[in-house]
Amino acid sequence: MNRREAIQRTALALGYTISAPLISAVLHGCKAKPDLAFKPVFLDEEQGRLVSAIAETIIPRTNTPGAVDAGVPGFIDDLLANVYSSEQQKAFTDGLTAFAEEAKSEIGDAFIDATPEQQLGFVKKKNTEALSGGSGSGSQSEGWWAAGMGSSKPFFLEVKELTILGFFTSEAGATQVLQYKQVPGPFQGCVPLAEVGKAWAT
Amino acid sequence: MNLNLKAQQENTYDAIVVGTGISGGWAAKELTGRGLKTLVLDRGRDVKHGEYPTMSKEPWELPHGGRMTKEEQKFRPVQSRTGWIGQANMHWFVNDAEHPYQETKPFDWIRGYHVGGRSLTWGKQTYRLSQMDFEANGKEGVGVDWPVRYEEIAPWYDHVESFIGVSGRAEGLSQLPDGKFLPPMDMNCVEEVFRDKVSEKFGGRKVTIGRVAHLTAALPHDPSRGICQSRNLCDRGCPYGAYFSSNSSTLPAAMKTGNMTLRPNSVVHSVIYDEKLGKAIGVKVIDAVTKEDIDFYAKVIFLNASTLGSTFILMNSVSSRFPNGLGNGSDQLGRNLMDHQYRAGAEGKFDGFEDSYYIGRRPNGIYIPRFRNVGNDKRTDYLRGFGYQGEASRGSWVRSVAELSVGAELKDLVTTPGEWSLGITGFGECLPYAENRVTLNRNEKDPFGLPMLVVDADWRENEKVMREDMKAAAAEMLEAAGFNNVHTYDAPNNIGLGIHEMGTARMGRDKKTSVLNKWNQVHEAPNVFVTDGAFMTSSACQNPSLTYMAFTARAANHAVEELKKQNL
Repeated sequence: MNRREAIQRTALALGYTISAPLISAVLHGCKAKPDLAFKPVFLDEEQGRLVSAIAETIIPRTNTPGAVDAGVPGFIDDLLANVYSSEQQKAFTDGLTAFAEEAKSEIGDAFIDATPEQQLGFVKKKNTEALSGGSGSGSQSEGWWAAGMGSSKPFFLEVKELTILGFFTSEAGATQVLQYKQVPGPFQGCVPLAEVGKAWAT
Repeated sequence: MNLNLKAQQENTYDAIVVGTGISGGWAAKELTGRGLKTLVLDRGRDVKHGEYPTMSKEPWELPHGGRMTKEEQKFRPVQSRTGWIGQANMHWFVNDAEHPYQETKPFDWIRGYHVGGRSLTWGKQTYRLSQMDFEANGKEGVGVDWPVRYEEIAPWYDHVESFIGVSGRAEGLSQLPDGKFLPPMDMNCVEEVFRDKVSEKFGGRKVTIGRVAHLTAALPHDPSRGICQSRNLCDRGCPYGAYFSSNSSTLPAAMKTGNMTLRPNSVVHSVIYDEKLGKAIGVKVIDAVTKEDIDFYAKVIFLNASTLGSTFILMNSVSSRFPNGLGNGSDQLGRNLMDHQYRAGAEGKFDGFEDSYYIGRRPNGIYIPRFRNVGNDKRTDYLRGFGYQGEASRGSWVRSVAELSVGAELKDLVTTPGEWSLGITGFGECLPYAENRVTLNRNEKDPFGLPMLVVDADWRENEKVMREDMKAAAAEMLEAAGFNNVHTYDAPNNIGLGIHEMGTARMGRDKKTSVLNKWNQVHEAPNVFVTDGAFMTSSACQNPSLTYMAFTARAANHAVEELKKQNL
């Protein structure tokens, strides 16, 4: 967008040729990089930042903790490193790259640099597309879910599922957003919801 | 010679029990309780009650979101077929690489080799077989007739239920006899509606709460066990001992008699048959740690190594008297392998009860006793029938993966429980087929140098036709009960995945067509008893563990009586 063009113009004006990676460094140098709250094992730092931004957009901090507070990006990185097969890892990183590129052309800025509103707007769009099987119809019954758990799960649903799993099985998600009791005591089958309060984490 | 004699004396007991799972624990308890000095062997490591490493872990304390790592999956390719083995429970399931077998057709052999065996991970559903089940083979000319009728086993069902503790509701059904029950667990509001509507629309057809081996009240006897706290973390091992396992119940009881010697890490190679005496005299053991061969001797031998484990031991016990395996004059050893087919049924949504919820994670669901081919509900297209298991619940946070909302909206959405839905899956009877069998491949060996077990089994026509009805009848009930969005589902399972493998040393009246007699004694070697799932002459459709326990207790007491009369 404008910043990039501006830098490029300045560079041209000054007679420099600036390589793409350097442009990137200059661009990001102008803006504080978000701190990574975890040390990625599988992802690189850039991917780690992107995954953090996506997860936090899906489950943001409100008056309760969000995905980053709950350690979700580290959870995702750990699963990618230790649980995912090399094919699944590749599908994920390919998906991440495609997500970044599409976000950039859509928003005009890198996803991690975009405003929370822009991020949410783009994530909503990807979510709707993924659930409707890319047709844009918005109908869940025609989307990927109707076809069952296939290997062709869209990247966005993969990262959304990981975010949701990581968050609601975290202490923050289970005990502060939902409620959790390790030892509930004898089962009670029919209790007024008002007496129970929030939904159970498990 | 003297040394040998001394060693032999030191290794001699009144009884040997091979295996410590749900039936082996019972053999140990009954035999030691009747005063027999009993050696109890298990091929795996020792596990004492309470030594359950993950039992109190919070969801966030399990590594990798509870999933197995790639490395861990690599060693459990078969166990992974369940889809529910992970960090919380994988230590209760074998390393498939160390315990190979061969599958002619896919057969899911889901196993745990450690003291307690699968009694630590079983489903706890506890149902009696009925007269209808014991009579079916004989009446229909399928397989062989059971040599036992309900009246003979009923007192042993009482005996076992009283000791293990079974929660349930008496319903007065002849096809699913009532037992000695502790208070039933609650149904939730939607399950109650379903129960009432099914009864109303289907001429009194019963929907009942699952009968389960969980304590809902204290038992009056030792070992002392706690009441179910609805954690539903059972397959990690229960710190309260609230569900029945060998570890929490029968093995401590056996130990307390002072008559039990428990020897873990003892892989049984074969039963030793003395040609001169014309009887079995002991077992050959490979120490799993030292790889040393050791012989143990006893007057009676109980095989409780699991259906295929016990069958393997008999097949590997060859002598000039029994070149095809001990007691296999009938050529039925290894045949008639059965399991239960499931994962076919229906689910639907329910409008209403938005203001109702539940407290606790009930380790149980609802049960619909068999109604097909019962009374006037005759089918012409298949024999036998199925029961259903299922439950109603409100949508959890998991639903948010498929919701259009993201961001703060998503968080708001999941703090309220979702819609009610109810799902049920059939558990269908499998007929005995001689062609569904296991054999030994002596050309290939496992890491202990033992022959490889080969499994060749599949579902056949009767099961396939029944399966269609399992789906249709489920949808019919849900629709009649006022559920909406009803749809059937069918996630085909390989034979074995029901983890109810049984039947490969069936009991019968005639030694020409069966391996065991009505007391679970090998016809041709009566001091050898097989009382795990191998003895089952038909599978019925009920979860079988209670029946294994009842027959084990009966056989053990018979063994003691026969020893007293010097018949063994």
